Amino acid sequence: MKKKKWLGIALTAALALGSLAGCSSAKDTSKSDGGKGEKITYWAPFSGADGPRMKTIVENYNKSQSKYQVDLQIVPQSDYYKTVDLAFSGQKNAPDVLIMHTDQLKNYADKNLLKDLSDTIAKTGVKAEDYSETAWKAGDIGGKHYNIPLDIHPLVMYYNKDLFKAAGLDPEKPPTNREEFLADAKKLTVPSKNQYGFVVPTLWPNQFIFPTILFQNGGELMKDGKPNYNSPEAVEALTFYRDLITKDKVSPANVQQDGEVTLFLQGKNAMHLNGPWMMEQWDKAGINYGVAPVPQLGTKQQAVYANAHNFVIPATVKDSKKLDGITDFLKYVAANTMEWAKSGQAPASKAIYEQSEEFKQMKQQPIVAKEFDYAKFAPAVANWGQLSDPLWAEVNLALLGKKDPQKALDDANKKAEQLLNK
Amino acid sequence: MRNSGWKSQLTSSLFVLPYLILFVVFLLIPIGYGAWMSLHNWDLLNPVHEFVGFKNYAKIFDSSSYLNDLFLEGLKNTFQFVVFSVPLLVAVGLGLALLVNALPGKFKGFFRTVYFIPYAVSVSVVAIIWLWLLDTNSGLINQYMQKLDLPMIPWLTDMPWAWISLVIATLWWTIGFNMVIFINALNDVSEELYEAGSLDGASRWQRFIYITLPSIKPTMLFVVITSTIASFNIYGQPFLMTRGGPGTSTKVLLMNIVDEAFKQRQLGNAAAMSLLMALIMIVISVFQFKISNRKE
Repeated sequence: MKKKKWLGIALTAALALGSLAGCSSAKDTSKSDGGKGEKITYWAPFSGADGPRMKTIVENYNKSQSKYQVDLQIVPQSDYYKTVDLAFSGQKNAPDVLIMHTDQLKNYADKNLLKDLSDTIAKTGVKAEDYSETAWKAGDIGGKHYNIPLDIHPLVMYYNKDLFKAAGLDPEKPPTNREEFLADAKKLTVPSKNQYGFVVPTLWPNQFIFPTILFQNGGELMKDGKPNYNSPEAVEALTFYRDLITKDKVSPANVQQDGEVTLFLQGKNAMHLNGPWMMEQWDKAGINYGVAPVPQLGTKQQAVYANAHNFVIPATVKDSKKLDGITDFLKYVAANTMEWAKSGQAPASKAIYEQSEEFKQMKQQPIVAKEFDYAKFAPAVANWGQLSDPLWAEVNLALLGKKDPQKALDDANKKAEQLLNK
Repeated sequence: MRNSGWKSQLTSSLFVLPYLILFVVFLLIPIGYGAWMSLHNWDLLNPVHEFVGFKNYAKIFDSSSYLNDLFLEGLKNTFQFVVFSVPLLVAVGLGLALLVNALPGKFKGFFRTVYFIPYAVSVSVVAIIWLWLLDTNSGLINQYMQKLDLPMIPWLTDMPWAWISLVIATLWWTIGFNMVIFINALNDVSEELYEAGSLDGASRWQRFIYITLPSIKPTMLFVVITSTIASFNIYGQPFLMTRGGPGTSTKVLLMNIVDEAFKQRQLGNAAAMSLLMALIMIVISVFQFKISNRKE
């Protein structure tokens, strides 16, 4: 009897945990008490620290007028595109406007699932000139225009100011090119203290770092619609990147998933490349960190890999009253994304990143915006996710010292070609 | 008389009903739907799903198709995990059960709970705990290794360590379940048999081999089969701890299926792959069942 009771408790606990997990993945609907106008459903994947920021923007919009009522529904990042796909395939009620990452635009545009905004935009006064050109142009696919940008999130460099000071470096002068980067990294490496100048990750976020160095070398990931992973520029980039571990020894070997983040948090990794979304984590940990544009680690030009959040409208939304409401809301967002900037992101609206004094006073966000002009996105091919998978696996092997960079990239290219010809 | 028989039949049916409904809604219908999908070219973003018969299955066996690689490589990795983990899941589960059962009354309950608690934790928590412990450069375990002047081990970035780490994390996470099952089985072995054995001069080891093991055989079979199925379904641990690395050495079949379904949006292919995987699991379970019955 006693045994059964105990088992019962364990089972209940397991069930409770299970249902809690269920709750957290349930859709989070923000209740707003504003006016009752035409209802506009808006989906976004902001389940992290950025969620409350977007909620505030929507609530303020709903309070600011009474014609439209925007209903923000946050779908967790991990389930986002699954949910969006189901909506588009007609199995779920589709939203009227939704957030989409730049590297996903092509997948949906190719299947004619997104609304071409060319004429709607001209009529309503949402103008290309009001947004960063880089962000806006990413939505030009096949002569049509699909996106209204919210932000761009390029790779940025974080560095530990205390470690810079201790190494006799100026904490206000982070490196800007390969030579400075290597020299600083070597000075910042103290093997006896397990302290490293730049810990090289072997998995994520190499999806951002490797293309950045490749672009800086003047290389391309795709050429004439074909994978171009083993170009001389790519091999040079990977060799330089791997040498940081094997030759320059400014990084430990065998860094595991998130190992470089842990070391940065522990104050044992002096320089770290990651996305602007990491800011709040550093703030919470109380690190004395600086933010800088990614140094030019490549040999040819300044460039940085980025992704971006965009607003898109499903092709099925045709009701003109709804469309008016959506444009009205998006215009409001463009002028009022200061709130969004507070999560560490840099909005792609010029009203903020070029004109707002408050924005320019911020620590990280203006640095992110500095990179807008030379930021580059993933190649606009369908299924970049699958096509790039072999690349990340082979980069991983090269950085773990299991394969020569040339061989690794050759293999990655071969696999990607197979996928393309399936 | 007949009336009451009818009534009792109805009552028993009613008791079965809740499970039956759940079974049909959450298992039978999805399986049927999956089988239906597997016969179509089912792109999640295309409104039209054309019927293609067994083409999706044919692609899995066609060595020039990328699906063939995806399936076989994933299957090979999953098989490795099953082979490494199942013997340990059974042996360590039984070992812990014997150990806990040998403890004095009060400790028994305490340790049973202690060993069972990880089972109630979700896989993401398990992965984070082990990621911290096993971190090559800043993890607790390697820190101790360093203090003892032992070489640092690349727990998650080199073979065979990656498998060893995944098996250890899985053992820690799920061993409580097998242990509890074994404890119940051990408690059901009649005390008289042991007494008789002792009187006949059987040693502890002999009593274990000739009394304990044969008595818990049905439970053993149950544990072996459920552990095999559970190990086949491995997904969360490599997904969160190694991301399939180094390279794709720990990218298991379910990871590939999920990629094909939701990154590639090819539900038809993914459904065919998962049904094939289920078929393999069924064959193995039946095989295990047959083998253990033949010995009798």
